[in-house]
Amino acid sequence: MDVKKSIIFNLRWHRRIGLSLFFMVIFLSVTGFALNHSPGLKLSKVDLTNDWLLSWYGLEQEPITGYKLNENWLYQAGDKHLYYNHTIAGSCLPPLRSVATTAQMILALCSDSLLLLSQDGQLIESFSQLQGLPANVEQVLVDGENIFLTSPANAVIFDANSLNISAVKQASGASIAPQPLPDNQFKGVSEAGSGASISLETLVLDLHSGRFFGNAGVLFVDIVGLLMCILAITGLWAWVNHQRLRKQ
Amino acid sequence: MFKSMLNALLLVGTALLTSLSSPMVMGKGVYQSGPDFIAEVFEQQASAKVLWLTNDIRQQAKYILGRPVSGLRIRYHQHGSKTAWILEEIGKEMPITIGVVVEANKIAQVKILAYRESRGGEVRYPAYTRQYLGAALKDNYKLDQSIDGITGATLSVWAVNKVAALALYYHSLTEQPTADR
Repeated sequence: MDVKKSIIFNLRWHRRIGLSLFFMVIFLSVTGFALNHSPGLKLSKVDLTNDWLLSWYGLEQEPITGYKLNENWLYQAGDKHLYYNHTIAGSCLPPLRSVATTAQMILALCSDSLLLLSQDGQLIESFSQLQGLPANVEQVLVDGENIFLTSPANAVIFDANSLNISAVKQASGASIAPQPLPDNQFKGVSEAGSGASISLETLVLDLHSGRFFGNAGVLFVDIVGLLMCILAITGLWAWVNHQRLRKQ
Repeated sequence: MFKSMLNALLLVGTALLTSLSSPMVMGKGVYQSGPDFIAEVFEQQASAKVLWLTNDIRQQAKYILGRPVSGLRIRYHQHGSKTAWILEEIGKEMPITIGVVVEANKIAQVKILAYRESRGGEVRYPAYTRQYLGAALKDNYKLDQSIDGITGATLSVWAVNKVAALALYYHSLTEQPTADR
């Protein structure tokens, strides 16, 4: 193949590859720029909660369940906060396992503590494992004035005034059944409270690397990268051939 | 020669990293439960009592801590003029559980019962907590003794200072035996 034919062949493929990569080069440049300046653009602070996006990432929004106390709701949303309607009543380690009420107070059992709340949702006191709450308690039951804390293996009776516990053979009583929070009252909470979100930085990074589309996306970006290398080589080759042609 | 030196360096580096990241060095953990602390202080002779936090008390406690207190009541144990308090205050991000014993309006013991922060756990050492012994509350609700800080544990030190002052304040609100007044 003489120099002229070689140049034509090289330039033809250089053009073809360049044209086919037009959109991808612009896209990768923009996303790369965004990632390079992510701290400044605060991409990691932007949380995306779009249902379709979360579903694509396998992070379905779990409906928040709450406990209805007459016309009020007690629920846990976000990290550790326990809410009484829209007010933070206290904090404890999720999940909120069980809720029961006596005539004087509301008892909310979390993983690490039992919160004693007044009937209007004010925190009276919390009883933590450090203070003697058994570690494996799963349910709080109220039978008249008696409060029982039960676990699969055993049960204890709890004195809310002295915070003393003592073992009992059998526990009885009732707790409040959890139910989904009504959307009309707690729309904002349902959207933001369960904590499921994707940061914009993650989305841009996954789009840039092709991971957003799974293995096929990664392979596609690999091929684009390979074609960019070929584009650089054909570009260099075109320049070299051009120099050879000028000498001839 | 070079290979054996490299191996030795790697070994030392690994040992150093392991020791630095161990919970013992970081000071993270629960050291004593509340009931055990009370039993140790009073040897089972104390009576459990409750201090209800009225609005005035809450205002003063807020001034001492620099944030509103949670809860409507605080539990403490008392025997004679000695009271023991288990209080929590956030160091940087996580609460530190601190046991404070007050006798005759002066601190008799400070003990870190649980430390949950990743750094600053040095506040649990007796060499540090011993500084609080004999400290009383000034008129401005600060401790009347100067407490030496710890480099790298400033927020934890502040948290312990606040809790010590709060325990002294709460103690001043309890009913004391007549002979001690």
